Amino acid sequence: MYYLGVDVGSVSTNLVLLDNNMIVVEKIYIRTRGSPIKAVQDGFKILKDKYDNIQIGGVGATGSGRHIAATLIGADAVKNEITSHAVAALEIDREVKTIIEIGGQDSKIIILRNGVVSDFAMNTVCAAGTGSFIDRQAERLDIPIEEFGDYALNSNMAVRIAGRCAVFAESDMIHKQQLGYDKADIIRGLCDALVRNYLNNVGKGKEILPKVFFQGGVAANKGIKTAFERALGLEIVVPKDFNVMGAIGVAILGKEVAEKEGQTNFKGLNLADSIFESNSFECTDCSNRCEVVKLIENNRHIGCFGDRCGKWSNRVKAL
Amino acid sequence: MIVGIPKGLLYYKYYPFFTNFFNELGVELVVSQDTNKDILDEGVNYCIDDACLPVKIFHGHVAVLKEKCDIILIPRIMQVRKKEYICPKFCGLPEMIKNTIPDLPRIIDKPIYAFSRKKLYTWAKEAGSMITKDKNRIKSAFNYAVMEQDKYRLGFNDKSQQLTVALVGHPYNIFDNYINMNIVKKLKRLGVGVITEEFLEDNLIDEEIRHLYKKPFWTFARNSYGFASNVYRKNLVDGIIYISSFACGIDSVVIELIKERIGNFPLLILKIDEHTGEAGLDTRVEAFVDMLGRGLR
Repeated sequence: MYYLGVDVGSVSTNLVLLDNNMIVVEKIYIRTRGSPIKAVQDGFKILKDKYDNIQIGGVGATGSGRHIAATLIGADAVKNEITSHAVAALEIDREVKTIIEIGGQDSKIIILRNGVVSDFAMNTVCAAGTGSFIDRQAERLDIPIEEFGDYALNSNMAVRIAGRCAVFAESDMIHKQQLGYDKADIIRGLCDALVRNYLNNVGKGKEILPKVFFQGGVAANKGIKTAFERALGLEIVVPKDFNVMGAIGVAILGKEVAEKEGQTNFKGLNLADSIFESNSFECTDCSNRCEVVKLIENNRHIGCFGDRCGKWSNRVKAL
Repeated sequence: MIVGIPKGLLYYKYYPFFTNFFNELGVELVVSQDTNKDILDEGVNYCIDDACLPVKIFHGHVAVLKEKCDIILIPRIMQVRKKEYICPKFCGLPEMIKNTIPDLPRIIDKPIYAFSRKKLYTWAKEAGSMITKDKNRIKSAFNYAVMEQDKYRLGFNDKSQQLTVALVGHPYNIFDNYINMNIVKKLKRLGVGVITEEFLEDNLIDEEIRHLYKKPFWTFARNSYGFASNVYRKNLVDGIIYISSFACGIDSVVIELIKERIGNFPLLILKIDEHTGEAGLDTRVEAFVDMLGRGLR
């Protein structure tokens, strides 16, 4: 039996397939590019080509696009990213006490004590220091994102960059560039700034104890990892499947729910070939004027999202 | 004559007083609708950029009302308790609106000092005289309105669910369901009941603020802190959720004071602004409830 986890994030959509022992047998990382439905379908196509005949015993959906993904695939568990990340980390190591998770648009800190979440925080109104911002800076400096962290490691001296705000950081970087500072030093400065910003905002007032896990797409960035180690004076562990931890966690939760229910709601890998359409309209039934999204699979209406009263989205469950 | 009352800011707390007062004066009343997207858009359009969301939304309520009434109430609430004040944006609210929204009808903007019946009556006389010359009528309208306000009980006190949280913050963030994205309903769906500060005796709040090195200057800061501190000390709830408007200066102080007071007790801060996408709020609320319920395994 296999278990599937789908994490639809702002930047990437990740799918993982776990075996009976919760070992990752497949992981797929797709850029969401604003089309969560297409991203999930693309992932399913890859899975279908490789594993058409396997039995899937449970599925879970997480990420900011978890609700749409859950309707799409027939998820057994729909869980927020924090719980999912915590479950995955604890599956790997029961000793984890702190999780630093930096994704495309969110950064979070999760404090675990005795194997349960005891506190967490997320970035509030600003996405400075998250993956999207680093992506954009890499693009601007014409450096492939994969090499961004290595640049930082080649620097001997960090140039100070303002880290509080993405706009300030960017203009500070440009000013320093124009003064002729070395690219590597600027990038190391940026890594330090992002870590400083993270610890002062998201991590403010939190007791960061080892073991510290670093997860999410940004954990690929060695420059940021090293900057965290310097700032905290602790070893930072980047787990092998750092970039799909949310999907792993929710696959585990999907397994638990499906086992409890005695069956899975999974709609099957054939979903890859379905034709999906989404229409949005403004509901005029009350003054809220909700923007409702209607999801259609092969001309069949499968769900609605975005209404405040639940009138449209509840209709889904009846179908 | 038609009097317009915008359904924003402290309307939720004091509407029985205002609506009954004007009703008794025999005018026609028009209250704006519940906050909605159009009102938000109008508000953001007119209001100065660095105001908080609730102030912007109040501007929106004024904008949709202005053509429907002959005179509009923009309460300049200065004080609701002795030696304490309300956020400074309330003192300057009429000016902010007059200078940004064109073609307004006449405005009732007399300052309101509501810490005593006598002081509040000063407002009633001034506001009432814009509508009628009949002093007795103003007086009886005032008495009736005060009585109705005293009868009114706002707030939540739901202890029937598996978990209970204290919902803390400025009243307009707690009671405007558009601003807070229906948080009470969301929590209930997750099996969480909500209690609010209105169900805490006023003298118990005084008891709590003794922990501070200085008496709070702001009434809502006093209430939020006192309430949070009380539910924490008496262990009345499983956790505290604080709804805070982005860029609110008072909140930035109160939240730190609360954190200092409650230590490791579960606290979730929800920052709200113009966004209407609910995914971010849902994630935080859901994760918080998971944590409280130790729902991991």
